[in-house]
Amino acid sequence: MTVQLLDRELDRLEGLWSDGLAETYESYLDAVGHFDPEVQPKLALAAALIESGVRLQGLGGRAAPPTTLLTGDLCLARGSRLLADNAPLPVQVAFARAIEAASSAAAAEQPAPALRQLLRQSLGTTR
Amino acid sequence: MSHRLDFATTQATEFVDITDRIRDEVRRAGLRNGRVHLQSLHTTLGLAINENEPLLLHDFESLLDRLAPAGAGYEHDDFARRFEVPLDEPANGHAHCRQLLLSAFATLMVEEGDLVLGRWQSMFAVELDGPRQRQVALQLDGEFARSDEQVSLEALVELELARQLMVDPEPVASPMRRLVEAGGKRLRPKLVQLTAGIGPRSDPLRAAELAAAVELLHNATLIHDDYVDESTHRRGRPTVAAAEGPERAIAVGDYYFAKATRLIAQIGNGGVTSALAAALESVCASQIDDVAMRGSYPGDRDSYMRVIRGKTASLFAAACESGALLSGAAPDVVQALGRFGDLLGTAFQMADDMVDFSPSSGKPVGLDIRQRVLSLPLIYAAEDRVVGPEVRRLLAGALGDAEVGRVAELVTSSGALPRVRQEAQHLVDAAVRELEAVELDGLRPTLVGLARAAVDRIS
Repeated sequence: MTVQLLDRELDRLEGLWSDGLAETYESYLDAVGHFDPEVQPKLALAAALIESGVRLQGLGGRAAPPTTLLTGDLCLARGSRLLADNAPLPVQVAFARAIEAASSAAAAEQPAPALRQLLRQSLGTTR
Repeated sequence: MSHRLDFATTQATEFVDITDRIRDEVRRAGLRNGRVHLQSLHTTLGLAINENEPLLLHDFESLLDRLAPAGAGYEHDDFARRFEVPLDEPANGHAHCRQLLLSAFATLMVEEGDLVLGRWQSMFAVELDGPRQRQVALQLDGEFARSDEQVSLEALVELELARQLMVDPEPVASPMRRLVEAGGKRLRPKLVQLTAGIGPRSDPLRAAELAAAVELLHNATLIHDDYVDESTHRRGRPTVAAAEGPERAIAVGDYYFAKATRLIAQIGNGGVTSALAAALESVCASQIDDVAMRGSYPGDRDSYMRVIRGKTASLFAAACESGALLSGAAPDVVQALGRFGDLLGTAFQMADDMVDFSPSSGKPVGLDIRQRVLSLPLIYAAEDRVVGPEVRRLLAGALGDAEVGRVAELVTSSGALPRVRQEAQHLVDAAVRELEAVELDGLRPTLVGLARAAVDRIS
């Protein structure tokens, strides 16, 4: 990922990069190879931000303290904006459905689906 | 709301009773309580309120004739001494002088949808140099009834919200339904629907879908905010966090964040999706700043403005832009509406801050102080030379009932509230000016009315 993209997209979230976001990002790179080279890092970062955001919030587990929740919210919002600006519509919809599945399971106090798997599948959605 | 009354006179001097026509304009505009301002657009047409009794009208005519008789050697009628006299200029010095005895302006009060006139009073346009084609300008202001069209638009959003909640799993739908059914001003969906009527591709059903999604998105942010602010009640009901715990609140907020972004994306307009996604990011970033500012509570005006523009105004702006984009409005219209929404959202937040100091608002006074929520009246009171030191001292300590009550008293006794009110009104004026340079297909009065009402609630 370019330094410029990192600078811009990690504003206020810099600390997360060295705290696991970098590894999460790496784990999505092989799932975005079929997109234009220009958008690949953006989509991998979007997926990583959403996965990290949900983890920070404590979704499906113990609620995060307020400030951590807000950081998680910002991760979700930024990931969502990266998708809105760079992902095809079916991918945007699949990502949203993945979060809906995870959060409705959490609300029902049922086991949450594996989010990384859902998000990786979402990146492969074509319709 | 502005109109023109057009009419033709048939006599040289004539009292034209325009009462019923004004009454019709009031009814057509749906003005419930307020004023009608009238202005003659001619120098030989006066306005007067009096009794419509034919003999009396003849008396008035005779009086005018005695006071300023026709052909009495008026200098105005000496065309040889005037410059650039039109070929058809009449000798009408007497008519101008008679108009001086009447008025060119009138204001009528309106109550419960009707003109406030005494039993024998009628409103006359007084022709003094007829027969001619004449015009009287009207402006109506005050509280307007909602039109059938507005009621229908609101009903569409409520139906769409209910439809969306009906298909969701109960553990998430039930708390959101309680929040939605508890009310709220629905300003953001209204802005979406109104602006979606501006362009050539206006589609009320798609606009209602987008408006409902924006309302769900807004409510999702509120559910998380309530947990962060430790709020126990919203819209008179327990918050999701207070009623069902923070874990459920996080899950419900996330679900509707995701669902709303999906519904917005499925509308299939990339510009709309991007505008709302950027606004949501702004809301979340500013919420972090808001909480960070509580360390230096109540903060300063610059920081306050930065936070509320991100936290509140950005979604107002995006609501306006997205509606216009959906309808295919021209880029200059979309941009103007975005600026309108930004200014309106900022003014709205200032007005909302003031509600915390109003005993008649229905909310407990001082709730924002107790929760250390960012508030411009509090910032101004803390900066005040007289009450500032005590406000700052109280805010630096623990805030029990006595301290909150005293801070509210100090804010009210300082000049902070009128200052914030004036600032909010100036922002609304600026928002309204943004609408002046663009073509809005007749929607300007409704948008202006909505903007004024957003601030008038604390006037």
